[in-house]
Amino acid sequence: MFGMKLNPLTAKKVARFKEIKRGYYSFLAIVALILFSLTAELFVNSRALIVSYEGKWYFPTYRGVISGETFGLDYSYETDYRQLRETFKETGSDNWVLLPLVPYDPYENNEYEGVFKPAPPSIANRHFLGTDTTGRDILARLYYGFRIAIFFSLVFLLLTYLIGIAIGCLMGYFGGIFDLIGQRLIEVWSNMPFLYVVIIVFSVVPSSISNSVRIGILLTIMVMFSWMGMTYYMRTGAYKEKARDYVAAAEALGASTGRIIFKHIIPNTLATLVTFMPFTIVGAITAITALDFLGFGLPPPTPSLGELLKQGTDNLTTAPWIVVSSFMALVAILTLVAFVGEAIREAFDPKKFTVYK
Amino acid sequence: MKKDEMYKAISLLGIFALLLGCSSNSGPSVSEDDPETVARRAALKAEIAKHYETKVALPPELFEDLEAGRIEKEVVDERIAAGEFPRFFQFKTVEDLPDYLVWEDGSDLPEIGSPKAKKGGTIYGTIQDFPRTLRTVGPDSNGRFRRYLLDHNAIRTAREHPNSTEIGPNGPRFYPGLAKEWAIDKGNQTVYVRLDPKARWSDGEPVTADDYLFMFFFFHSSYIKAPWYNNFYNRSYQGITKYDELTYSIKVSVKKPDFATYVLGLVPRPEHFYQDLGDDYPERYQWLFQPTTGAYAIKDEDIRKGESITFTRLDNWWADEKRNFRYRFNYEKKRIQVVRDNAKAFEMFKKGELDAASLSLPEYWYEKLPDDDPLVEGGYIKKAVFYNQRPRPPYGMWINTAKPLLDNQDIRVGIQYASNWDLVIEKYFRGDYSRLNHTAIGYGKFTNPNIKAREFSVEKALQHFAKAGFNQRGSDGILVDAEGRKLSFSLTTGYTTLKDPLTIIKEEAAKAGLDLRLQILDNTAGFKMAQEKQHEIHFMAWSYGAEMYPRYWETFHSINAYNPDGSIKTQTNNLNSLAIPELDELIETYRSSGDVDEMIDLAHRMEKIIHDSAAFVPAFHIPFYRIGYWKWRKYPDDFNVMKSEDSSEFSLSWMDVEEKKATLQAKDRGETFEKSIRIYDQYRSE
Repeated sequence: MFGMKLNPLTAKKVARFKEIKRGYYSFLAIVALILFSLTAELFVNSRALIVSYEGKWYFPTYRGVISGETFGLDYSYETDYRQLRETFKETGSDNWVLLPLVPYDPYENNEYEGVFKPAPPSIANRHFLGTDTTGRDILARLYYGFRIAIFFSLVFLLLTYLIGIAIGCLMGYFGGIFDLIGQRLIEVWSNMPFLYVVIIVFSVVPSSISNSVRIGILLTIMVMFSWMGMTYYMRTGAYKEKARDYVAAAEALGASTGRIIFKHIIPNTLATLVTFMPFTIVGAITAITALDFLGFGLPPPTPSLGELLKQGTDNLTTAPWIVVSSFMALVAILTLVAFVGEAIREAFDPKKFTVYK
Repeated sequence: MKKDEMYKAISLLGIFALLLGCSSNSGPSVSEDDPETVARRAALKAEIAKHYETKVALPPELFEDLEAGRIEKEVVDERIAAGEFPRFFQFKTVEDLPDYLVWEDGSDLPEIGSPKAKKGGTIYGTIQDFPRTLRTVGPDSNGRFRRYLLDHNAIRTAREHPNSTEIGPNGPRFYPGLAKEWAIDKGNQTVYVRLDPKARWSDGEPVTADDYLFMFFFFHSSYIKAPWYNNFYNRSYQGITKYDELTYSIKVSVKKPDFATYVLGLVPRPEHFYQDLGDDYPERYQWLFQPTTGAYAIKDEDIRKGESITFTRLDNWWADEKRNFRYRFNYEKKRIQVVRDNAKAFEMFKKGELDAASLSLPEYWYEKLPDDDPLVEGGYIKKAVFYNQRPRPPYGMWINTAKPLLDNQDIRVGIQYASNWDLVIEKYFRGDYSRLNHTAIGYGKFTNPNIKAREFSVEKALQHFAKAGFNQRGSDGILVDAEGRKLSFSLTTGYTTLKDPLTIIKEEAAKAGLDLRLQILDNTAGFKMAQEKQHEIHFMAWSYGAEMYPRYWETFHSINAYNPDGSIKTQTNNLNSLAIPELDELIETYRSSGDVDEMIDLAHRMEKIIHDSAAFVPAFHIPFYRIGYWKWRKYPDDFNVMKSEDSSEFSLSWMDVEEKKATLQAKDRGETFEKSIRIYDQYRSE
């Protein structure tokens, strides 16, 4: 779709999308956020950007753990760069440390008044949004949480659409018995209670597997129970298009089924699809937030919006900054995505350009 | 459109009808002279009579063999027919009582409760889920509500005195409940009881020895659908003898210094209430309130499904004047309402809709109701810390030694040194909780005072991991061995509320090159995983009753770790899969020992072996409970009794109804009272 030379109709739609300023700027903002989140390690991280030690330069950000011993400290585990900076300052040596803007990672527990408890936002200690109930930096958790959520939902979108479109098109195109059976199967399948499946699956998944695999399993389950919605639209779309003359013409010319579906039918139903995309992303982010809120989502201590939100509501009166920042972040992301969706829907609205009879 | 509305109305009506149907509390209506009922009751009577006649007391070992299928039922039946075993139920006369018995009634012990207590008032409490049944036995009955029905209400035959640590020749000291007096025959492991002639069920029927006979029938029967009780009441007791309406004796199978607790701790079952006992017991008795020996009963109209249950104090309760009871159970009504969200319940408390709230968690004590909170500052709400003395639930990490790498003692010791519970206690629990040193804390002399939990030390952890071959750090800082295996284990738990401390443990362990993958499950799933022994390291605590000495057989004997064929034995408490022959021997001696000094010595030695095996990482224990309460609620001058689990277990508090009104009015007017934050540490032991 992208990179190809746009046909005039699509070009018009894109131009129209750009005209809708609110949606267009939201789109740019989201793309910028996603790109920015890819470099999160450079801005929000407990690892230093550069350490100059004894004339040698180190760049810890993207490489493995550098032991404290490397910098002449008395421990073998990962260097505490904030402390290292203080040490260098105190000794007055030429060594120096350049820390990121927010010098905390989303996992470490920071003391506040001698204990692990929520610290209010403060510029002085660089907890710009404060810390959560175990003293972890909220900005860091939000930021890394956003990255996980957005990529999770992009992959989710890709997979559900692939399955949904393929099956929906097939049902619409072939019709008849295939359609009938397919529809019934989908009805049965969509009546499976999703939440219970998540709970059951996670209670039997062996704990020996790693976090990333667990996230993968969650994704798979969510995809398994979400592709059905798309099939309905694609089925009607394909059904409708199939009856049109150009499909008959293609058939008459001897085009294969695959060619007809992928070259002729899908491009013509794409308008419907595109308008759904942002809302699917919104749905996926909400779903994973809700699952985390209930404790069935990403395994702890993975940073997540839902987990922060839960902490926030539990500490509404004592640490309001938790709920404020997590709620605002969630609202901001969802609003941006929704604006984009709205603009796309408007830009692709066929009523503006064509009249169906 | 009109049709639509009509349908709507009809379906709404239907829903209302359904709801109404659900909320009717009356049990299955049974007409007394319905021939079917009469026949059924007669059949049950006959069945009970036959059970009394034919039931024999099998020796516990034989019973266990029979249950496990190691011996044929026919063989046992033959032996029973040959009259090898004594009858379980025996009927004798008062003349048959041995003359060497020494009767006691605990009257030399101090009385429980404060003479200042006043009767009356309503208190409000909360529960997270509406109870699924009012039964205390059978399916779904083991919920949080049972304590309101049983532990906090029902009066036992006699109970261990909660302020006495004395261990006499016959075990701990008791104060009488349903009993007027009792005599302990240690040689025959039999306890003789004379019931208090005043003792009544809440429906007015007298409590008699027959209710105790029936209790055994009840717990032996398969109607109750509770195999644990079937097993316990068969295996632990060797029979009951009735001498007259108020006198009976019970013989216990176990030879233990506290065997009398097995008899005196019993709560009988009212025979007259269970006339309709049968296979439909779980449904028939689901919402029927069983008459109680306690001060509070539930009226049918006070069961509001999904909302609340109210207990009402009996007029002229039989123990109103009885020593140890006259100053307790003071409230007129206790209303328990369903509030699903803890945060919401706490807000209700701060508004005065609830009388008291637990502040045991540091965030409640320090953040949600700090000492300078206007409510505390103004003296409306009092705060109190009470140090109790009782067996502590051993919170800690149970390492499954049957899993690869974890079978290596060096790795286990390394894990001990890599677990920074001291930091969690200091920084997260703010130094309020104490470090648990081993599995048996709070058992007085039975607790080994010389064992200390291993401290957090990266160096020592690394040394021990290196001994096991893990001497290189990977690029992520986690140790790897020569074969490239990572030092990584899963740490599971069913305690969602203790997720945060575990994330701290995880972060700290990484410093020692140990990767712990957290998996927080819901309660049931977490416990199931540990019961199936699928865990690598599982974080949990057993909840221990106020027993005199710790148990080891359940948790540490190899018989509960492996089956005879060498496979892992599931559904047992040996979460460590620990199998140490030396320990097994000690456990067996301990289990069959009736001598206190020997048991103390054995307990100390066993604890040392468990410590050396490093299979259990002790985490923390809470040596107190803390509560916040409105000033109209009153407690005795010394606040509570030593062995109390929480502030309400022994029902010692009372309220001043007038003061409640006055306090709330004063609060509206902005008048303040004296601030009160008190620490009761008279029973503090560490």
